[in-house]
Amino acid sequence: MIEVKNISKSFNDQKVLKNIDVIFEPGKISMVIGKSGSGKTVLLKSVIGLHMPDEGEIFFDRREFTKAKIKFKREIRQEIGMVFQGGALFTSSTVEDNIRFPLDLFTKMTKAEKQKRVDFCLERVNIKDAHKLFPAEISGGMQKRVSIARAIVLNPKYLFCDEPNSGLDPQTAILIDRLIREITIEYNTTTVVNTHDMNSVMEIADNIYFIHKGENWWNGGRDDIFYSDNVELNEFVFASELYKKIKIAVK
Amino acid sequence: MKLFTVIGQYLVLMGNVFTKPVRRTIFFKRVVDEIEQIGVDSLWIVSIVSVFMGAVLTLQVAINFEAPYIPKYLIGLSARDTMILEFSSTIICLILAGKVGSNIASEIGTMRITEQIDALEIMGVNSASYLILPKIIAALVTFPLLNILSIILGILGGYFVAVLTDVVTVYDYLFGLNYVFVPFYVTYSLIKICFFSVIITSVSSFHGYFTYGGALEVGKSSTRAVVYSIILILLFNLILTQILLT
Repeated sequence: MIEVKNISKSFNDQKVLKNIDVIFEPGKISMVIGKSGSGKTVLLKSVIGLHMPDEGEIFFDRREFTKAKIKFKREIRQEIGMVFQGGALFTSSTVEDNIRFPLDLFTKMTKAEKQKRVDFCLERVNIKDAHKLFPAEISGGMQKRVSIARAIVLNPKYLFCDEPNSGLDPQTAILIDRLIREITIEYNTTTVVNTHDMNSVMEIADNIYFIHKGENWWNGGRDDIFYSDNVELNEFVFASELYKKIKIAVK
Repeated sequence: MKLFTVIGQYLVLMGNVFTKPVRRTIFFKRVVDEIEQIGVDSLWIVSIVSVFMGAVLTLQVAINFEAPYIPKYLIGLSARDTMILEFSSTIICLILAGKVGSNIASEIGTMRITEQIDALEIMGVNSASYLILPKIIAALVTFPLLNILSIILGILGGYFVAVLTDVVTVYDYLFGLNYVFVPFYVTYSLIKICFFSVIITSVSSFHGYFTYGGALEVGKSSTRAVVYSIILILLFNLILTQILLT
């Protein structure tokens, strides 16, 4: 479980996050949604420590993270898997070297054991025959799946995904969503997904946090969205004609 | 004020760089890779520049030493001392600042803007140490060797001039090479190049590491890395010469 308590963050006197309080539960997918520039990426980066919040605290399973020493932070980070928006794969390494990298650094596995784990993770994300290819030689969807494979190779307790579906076609996006759901259930991870893809939200979200102007404007479940009177949330979620019709149909 | 902020940022980064590596085997593998990229890949440029500069230097000195009362062997001596004292350390490092420095800044800068450095941090890796320390060690190992190679090839370039032209005889040139040789000059040259190797790799890494934005910013970081490396090399050249030779 990740507890975010009263987090605020400013850049150049502009307050990007304002007293955010959220709890991300284990075995569930928490989705952070909001317009571009609403502060959701800053929230995610603050939670994982890439940004230092100006105030507030973050607890990973009751372990204080924000003010912890860098050595302790690195220990906690070894329990985190992260899927970046662009994949963030190491471009000079092959697909299997990318996945093996955390094993080389943090485990004492033998070469054969590492290879077995790499093969398992690649199989888990439905990638075959791409072990020796470089990231530039595979499609965007495959890069995302390799990124997920790398994120789960050390059996993480916490999984963070920053816009995992951006730039993907709807079918591949659904595959990625389902993969994230399966992994969350399988490993009981605390999964946090940053997105503005409403298909994704309707497909896999357990808890939804709507960030608006740096504030936690609304939170609830998938079904609650259809019955909410929150104006800003409705403007964001039901911006398209399709979703407006769905809302009417549901109501 | 900004200067102090930058110096502070640089010192904090270096504090993170000089820490114990997570895995020694991976660290040594990274050092070997960097030796290839930073050192071995620079062999051809250092060799070509040194041979030609040695040759041109000998020719120019010979042309300016036309007066009959100046002994011709001084041509060999000046070629030797210029290569050892200045060319093979300072000028070669200015060239390497352009080649290696821009390469390092753009490599690390690209890793920054494509979130590869963030990915390392999230995995619990000290990204500064993982990326930069092997580059500094590799430069410290290879640049002094390049320095020695440059001295030898520069002197050889002068020798070719002596053999192929009549501006100086081979005997005079070789006599000049052996005349009043000060071994400390080689030590001085090696000390300088060790300083310069740290300057080039650390300053370029610093500019790459703190790149924010897109491809344009990577280009700007790369240019800044070369410019600041060159300025610092020239500044430290003056300071080290004052300390070591006067």
